[in-house]
Amino acid sequence: MPTHLFRRLGYSLLVLWGVATLVFLLFNVLPADPARLTLGQRSDLATVAAARKELHLDQPLFRRYVLYLNDISPIGLVPARKGADAPWNFSFSQLHNGQRLALKVPYLGRSYRTKRLVSDILWEALPGTVVLAFSAMLFASFLGIALGILAALKKGSFWDTGAVAASVAGISLPSFFAGLIIAYVFGMLLHAYTGLDMTGSLYEWDAFGGKQLALRNLILPAFALGIRPLAIITQLTRSSMLDVLGQDYIRTAKAKGLSRWRMVTRHALPNALNPVVTAISGWMAELLAGSFFIEYIFGWKGVGKVTVDALDKFDFPLVMASVLLSSLIFIVVNFLTDLLYMLLDPRVRTS
Amino acid sequence: MEENQALVVENLNVLFDDKPALHGLSFSLSAGKTLALVGESGSGKSLCALAVMGLLPSQASWMGRIHLGSKKCSESSTAADWRYLRGKVASIVFQEPMSALNPVMKVGRQIAECLRVHAGLGPAAAKKQAQEWLRKVQIPTPEKSYHKYPHQLSGGQKQRVMIAMALSTQPLLLIADEPTTALDVTIQQEVIRLMRQLQTECGAALMFITHDLALAAEIADEVLVLRAGKVVEQGPVQQVLHTPAQPYTQALLACRPSAAQKGFRLPVVADFLENNGQTPARIPIVQEQNARLPEALLKVRNLRVWFPVERDWTGTPIHFLRAVEDVSFDLNRGEVLGLVGESGCGKSTISRALMGLQEVESGHIHYEGRDLVRLNSAGWRRMRREVQMIFQDPYSSLNPRLTVGDALMEPLRVHSIVPRRLLQQEALRLLDWVHLPADSMHRYPHQFSGGQRQRIGIARAIALRPKLIICDESVSALDVSVQAQVLNLLKELQAALKLSYLFISHDLNVVSYIADSVLVMQAGKIVERGKAQEVFEHPRDPYTRRLVEASVY
Repeated sequence: MPTHLFRRLGYSLLVLWGVATLVFLLFNVLPADPARLTLGQRSDLATVAAARKELHLDQPLFRRYVLYLNDISPIGLVPARKGADAPWNFSFSQLHNGQRLALKVPYLGRSYRTKRLVSDILWEALPGTVVLAFSAMLFASFLGIALGILAALKKGSFWDTGAVAASVAGISLPSFFAGLIIAYVFGMLLHAYTGLDMTGSLYEWDAFGGKQLALRNLILPAFALGIRPLAIITQLTRSSMLDVLGQDYIRTAKAKGLSRWRMVTRHALPNALNPVVTAISGWMAELLAGSFFIEYIFGWKGVGKVTVDALDKFDFPLVMASVLLSSLIFIVVNFLTDLLYMLLDPRVRTS
Repeated sequence: MEENQALVVENLNVLFDDKPALHGLSFSLSAGKTLALVGESGSGKSLCALAVMGLLPSQASWMGRIHLGSKKCSESSTAADWRYLRGKVASIVFQEPMSALNPVMKVGRQIAECLRVHAGLGPAAAKKQAQEWLRKVQIPTPEKSYHKYPHQLSGGQKQRVMIAMALSTQPLLLIADEPTTALDVTIQQEVIRLMRQLQTECGAALMFITHDLALAAEIADEVLVLRAGKVVEQGPVQQVLHTPAQPYTQALLACRPSAAQKGFRLPVVADFLENNGQTPARIPIVQEQNARLPEALLKVRNLRVWFPVERDWTGTPIHFLRAVEDVSFDLNRGEVLGLVGESGCGKSTISRALMGLQEVESGHIHYEGRDLVRLNSAGWRRMRREVQMIFQDPYSSLNPRLTVGDALMEPLRVHSIVPRRLLQQEALRLLDWVHLPADSMHRYPHQFSGGQRQRIGIARAIALRPKLIICDESVSALDVSVQAQVLNLLKELQAALKLSYLFISHDLNVVSYIADSVLVMQAGKIVERGKAQEVFEHPRDPYTRRLVEASVY
């Protein structure tokens, strides 16, 4: 088993490397001059030259690529003097030309617009996205699994056809549309009853209290974001349950004289969960990488909104970093899903 | 009604999709006794078991009376009534131990669950009792095995767990639905012996469902023979199975292949029904006597097939499963060579290697002087004409979207066996060889019965006019009466088309009937070889002896 996990880790690193290469090529080869592009029309030559230097655009392409990889890698070459102001940098060895190999925080560049470190900006936006993604998935998973079981047990009944029809509607509903409708209906038309706003973030600034947690702002975006995964999880749970309910071991459970509840919860559900877990983890990764539309519509400060704003302003370092971040999230979530499979299914553990 | 009746069934009728599947079944079974329900597939014997357990699928409806102990059930009984009876008053052991246990639940807990639900035991007491039951069904290290998952146990052990589960609540009635059919012969006997012993200890009645008459004769007190949902004959085992009154029962008993029938055509059910109960005459199979010395068609030398089971981090295999280890044998022209052994012994791997479907680690396969191991894919395509295969499952090996005619003509066209304009004619000739009507040409595989499908498989195999046919468990999935017909057909074709067979089977009776010489395989090696009669009558190897003992009741 450890060999398997190690191999997965190796593949993951390869994927990350590939993504980094692609990102680099997209943003360095395609546009003729990123410096010009980022500074816009009204910029003097000195600014352009500074931007070119900052982006290493005066260097040949391959050298730029190596420098970029060195920047984003957690193990890389840093100038020796830099160690002084970053004491947690763990140095492996001193090299002759004033550089040293060290364990470091990946350097993702600085925002063109605010000149802040990209890592700081993303780090600030991440909690909003994580909280939103987890709430949406929690809502979608629990309700979806429950509805799916109900539909499977009452196959052909009103509940079943109702759940299936609703989930088809949910799958076909684009999230930006659902988001707009939900924001409009619950945040505006029904504001007097719900007390919810159309936009808002996890933290609000109050003139007196300063930064405050505003959990009520979470409700509408989490609901809007959860609709599609909810619909898919419902359908998957239903079909997977129907499959499992026809298995021999369910007949055995019935022959043992177990109650319906026990048969479903102890025997059918644990066997039906595998495909559902796959779907949940896929959605989880996707939502963690930033849910662009929903965050934008609800004005929710998260990775998605930061990225969309950055795209709008041609803030390439930020965009590049958020692409890298989302691929990292996918890889980590997939890795955790593998571990979860082992927990759920004893057959995976031994093979 | 008598006091100690465990089960009384009165006038049980089952409708399946509004078609009658069981007609007016009535029988009773007293505590401690065994009733064997015998019949071929589709006779309704499993349906009867499900009806008694209240487990009929939703498409089925039933009428009649079922008394389980003091409880009376009718078609108006509710799910709650049944739940009380299931597991507590009546338990069942199913055919497929592989799929009948929950794969993600520890086996010990599956037993403990019964005890908690029906005996009202607490978690600790239930665990203790469950371990006790694991010991009773002779599972090694019960304390440790309690925590095992079904996939960590062998097929026989899984079935033991099922038995423990069924008997742990001390039911009045135990139903066993073909409990050993999916197991190897040597394990079958142990499992049955164990089940009988525990049944006697518990004093439970046993309703034993089987297609195997010999097995029924050995364990039952009473027998009930079913055919197409109707009772053909019922009564004490001595009477029904030793002096059967009905031609159908006589036919079932007579059509089983055995060494004694060797060289004769096997009687089939139709013979008995037409003769109206008279034993049909034995018809010897005309076989061309080969005056010449036996000439080897196939020579296998030091064949090894290994499967990688563990790889290091670069993907290089470091541990192998030696599925076939150093196997050598000759197959003579016109001969039937039997290959017997239990599941996992490597007999199917050999057949795959002979067909070029499996890469060989080392060794040689000489076919008429050519070494098949060195053949490239073009060479293999030519070889396909010479060596054909008949598979175990005739349904999954036929393309469901092709009509039988297309399925037969395709290989003829690919290998240009006959000119294009004669394709149709040749396909009809093939159908005639296997005794299928000409209108089968335009029908699809699902429109045929199991036996007919196997005939289609045979027709396809002989289409290319091969010299060697590999029969891999070709008759194992068939009912005895159909099995007899297919075996007769294979013998007939062998004589007419001068075929040689490599006949792979786990069933020693079939092999002793059809094979001239045999190889006995165990764990990838050949442990005994020789003339069929000699090997089965005087087995030298201890493993062969065990196999022979297990298959003769």
